[in-house]
Amino acid sequence: MAIDIRNLSFSRQILPAIAVVGLVLAAIFILTGQPDREVDEPDTSPPSVPGSLANEARVAGSGVVEPSSELVQVGSALSGLVTGLYVQPGDRVSEGQTLFTVDDRQARAQLREAEAAIGEARAAIAEAQSAQATASSQLALYRNVSDPAAVSRSEVIRAEGEARAAGERLQLARARLSAAQARASSARTEVGRLTITAPIAGEILAVNIRKGEYVSTMGGGGSQPFIEMGQTQPMHVRIDIDEQQAPRLALGKPATVSPRGAAEQQVEAAFVRAEPLVVPKRSLTNSAAERVDVRVLQVIYELPASAVGENGTFRVGQQVDAFIPAKKGQ
Amino acid sequence: MSAPAICTRDVTRDFQAGQQTITVLHGIDLDIKAGEMTFLVGESGSGKTTLISIMCGILWPTLGEVKVFGTDIYDLPDDELVEFRLQNIGFIFQQYNLIPAIDAASNAAVPLIAQGMDRAEAREKAVAMFEKLNIADQADKLPSQLSGGQQQRVAIARALVHEPRLVVCDEPTAALDAASGRRVMDLLREVAVAEDRACIIVTHDNRIFDMADRILVLEDGKVIHDGKTMPETH
Amino acid sequence: MIWIAIRMLTGDPQKFFGLVFGIAFSTLLITQQLTIFVNLLNLGAAGVYNNGNGEVFVMDPASVTTDVTYPMPSTALDAVRSVEGVDWAVPQLRSAAAVRTAQGDLEQVVIVGVDDATLTGMPKRLVEGDKSDLRTPDTVMVDDVGATRMFPGLDPMGQVLELNDQRVVIGGITDTVPGFASTAVFYTTYSRALRYIPGTRNRMSLVIAQPVAGITPSQLVDKIEAETGLKGRTREEFTRDGIDFIIANTGIPFNFGITVALGFVVGVAIVGLTFSLFIRDNIKQFGALKAIGVTNRQIRKMVAAQAGLVGFIGYGFGVLATVGTMWAFSSNPFFKGFFVPWQVPLISLAAVIVILALTALLALRTVFNTEPAAVFR
Repeated sequence: MAIDIRNLSFSRQILPAIAVVGLVLAAIFILTGQPDREVDEPDTSPPSVPGSLANEARVAGSGVVEPSSELVQVGSALSGLVTGLYVQPGDRVSEGQTLFTVDDRQARAQLREAEAAIGEARAAIAEAQSAQATASSQLALYRNVSDPAAVSRSEVIRAEGEARAAGERLQLARARLSAAQARASSARTEVGRLTITAPIAGEILAVNIRKGEYVSTMGGGGSQPFIEMGQTQPMHVRIDIDEQQAPRLALGKPATVSPRGAAEQQVEAAFVRAEPLVVPKRSLTNSAAERVDVRVLQVIYELPASAVGENGTFRVGQQVDAFIPAKKGQ
Repeated sequence: MSAPAICTRDVTRDFQAGQQTITVLHGIDLDIKAGEMTFLVGESGSGKTTLISIMCGILWPTLGEVKVFGTDIYDLPDDELVEFRLQNIGFIFQQYNLIPAIDAASNAAVPLIAQGMDRAEAREKAVAMFEKLNIADQADKLPSQLSGGQQQRVAIARALVHEPRLVVCDEPTAALDAASGRRVMDLLREVAVAEDRACIIVTHDNRIFDMADRILVLEDGKVIHDGKTMPETH
Repeated sequence: MIWIAIRMLTGDPQKFFGLVFGIAFSTLLITQQLTIFVNLLNLGAAGVYNNGNGEVFVMDPASVTTDVTYPMPSTALDAVRSVEGVDWAVPQLRSAAAVRTAQGDLEQVVIVGVDDATLTGMPKRLVEGDKSDLRTPDTVMVDDVGATRMFPGLDPMGQVLELNDQRVVIGGITDTVPGFASTAVFYTTYSRALRYIPGTRNRMSLVIAQPVAGITPSQLVDKIEAETGLKGRTREEFTRDGIDFIIANTGIPFNFGITVALGFVVGVAIVGLTFSLFIRDNIKQFGALKAIGVTNRQIRKMVAAQAGLVGFIGYGFGVLATVGTMWAFSSNPFFKGFFVPWQVPLISLAAVIVILALTALLALRTVFNTEPAAVFR
């Protein structure tokens, strides 16, 4: 039946039309209103297992990057003001190179004092030697007089005494010389100790002192080491393995290591050694309050040269995530 | 004359009323011819409603057989009996039983629609029938907008629209005054009576007995009179 | 004949509207209550939904939901990472804390600490700010609903608060589903969360893990459970756990079950009564049609068409009304994240069909029981 506007029926045409429109609207509302429950890929990928280990038995651990020499915290034997600082972070130094100097004026004054004493002692030796020569020649003169009446016995004794005394004075002067020399040598050693040199060849990692600061043998402010250095070629990572996982670890196999926050930059690190001592887990979450009663096995791996250095991914002290193959069948 | 339009043989009908069995029809044997207007007359309770129901296939007889134009209708499966009614029988109910929600022409077209005819075509035929009945101008009105007489004409149109071979009419004049009753009867004779069509009218309205071709009088489940006119005693 | 049936139905406007109203009302009641029910249950899984990444959640065996957790030692993360089939795994800390606002009020909040390095586990979308803003010191991000509660009428961005004697700044607003507890949620990094929450030895609430390609989350869960002794859950299971927790610990299912049942009963009652009345009113016409020669099959079709029209219009209006109310409430923060699950309208459709089938069958019985012979009486 054609819809005639005059015969338009509310019940038979308008209502069903509204119902159709309502159903369509409702369907649109319902279908567009369905919640989005899809799971996203993370924006930054979390540390992910390397492809070769994805379906293999493996052990995960986390650790920090450290120099192969481990971290050397250079200290000072003597306290005093820093008068010279000759390195800055990043410098490569050779063994024995001066790192910094501590105020040596007092030591040098002592050296000069000792050197003066040496001069004085040398003068005393000369004086004693000449006195001894005089006494000896007088004594010889008396002894060569055959006439006993010509020289009194007492004259002879006095001359003998003078000659002996002159010899002893010479010996004393010599002793004073060696004492002064020893003092000078000690002062020189002191001066040398005030110049701190690199114990090994390596890279300066941190310098926590400035010229003019006071260094004490008790350590710097906040117990910071004065200078931290280490051999960064090659670089190592120290991986903590949970003691429960440790028995599964395949020691000797290379580990896959990635820095925190850059999980896609994975490198393969060669096994170096496992520490013989199992230690309490060190905090790795930056929380001072974190305490766990779990012990960890520390395993050392060597990072490849390409991943370290100026343009490398890894820096000393950085946290890393690592995946290490487990023993077969575990 | 050809075979009778309706042929009942030994039609008996019982009703259960609690423990009792009431026999309403006692072995009715009747032949009703086509081309005639047959009146079925009787008091209330005489069994005439039961008989007419059985003759037009809407009430099963307890015993006996009914042949309508040679078909033993109670031998047919249910669905075919319904279909037989739809094709062959036109009903004019006393209360018309028009559907109030559809217009007069659509009401009249119901049998055709039920037969599966397209609604527009069926309605056209109904309107054509309305013209014969002089109510063509009422085709678009709802039954409630029509007078009683017009409603009856719609009911008559509905009974005849599919050109049935048997028309059954229940008390057509009961609600009408004498003049109107006679007009309706004239109309029925004009449109319903045909050579090959039987027309049965159930009535007890003595004002129209003279219009019958044949009067059957029923009493207590038996045909007590069969003739052109009413018996004098009645 | 169907045309006649429809005309018969609409020819009696009171009953027709009554029927439509009954169905619409039932649909509204069932759909709306089921929707709110499902959404309330979903609140229990908000912690999972708001977690944008990862398919597998690993926790202590004593943990139940995202908000009922028993913390694990931090080495559990390495243990999970050591399991075959794990692509990646990150820690997450979830804990309640008391925050002091600039006005000096104390409020309970939930702190969520996500992996520092990758921010994995943050909600997927932010209303304001960028995820990387979390790397700014002292920054936390607050969930949108919590923000409107904590800072009514204020711009939450840049608000300074105090958490465990430490200064925090709101640096972002997340677009998240509010949780059942309706406390604000602060997202920050894991290490900062450790500082904000005065704590005990073990702090890590969850480990979120992702299986490598080719392994399903549930396979990974089995492996993790077998190898670490921790409890693993896939995203779906953990969602389910949150919902089950609500079911087990609240009266919500019972209350809503009653309302939904009521909707059904009201529907059956109104529609059933009205439809029987309608059929009874038209019984003479049906009887006449039967006498004239309309088969029972056709009558069945007619009644079905009538029920169908009533159901269609009523259902359409009911669903429209539901959607309308949900839409009207959508600005209320309590309803944030509420949605109409597509299954719910189908359930109410099924209920409508059952209601109409029941009433139509009853009506048909009346019609079929009518003797056509009755028309002569």
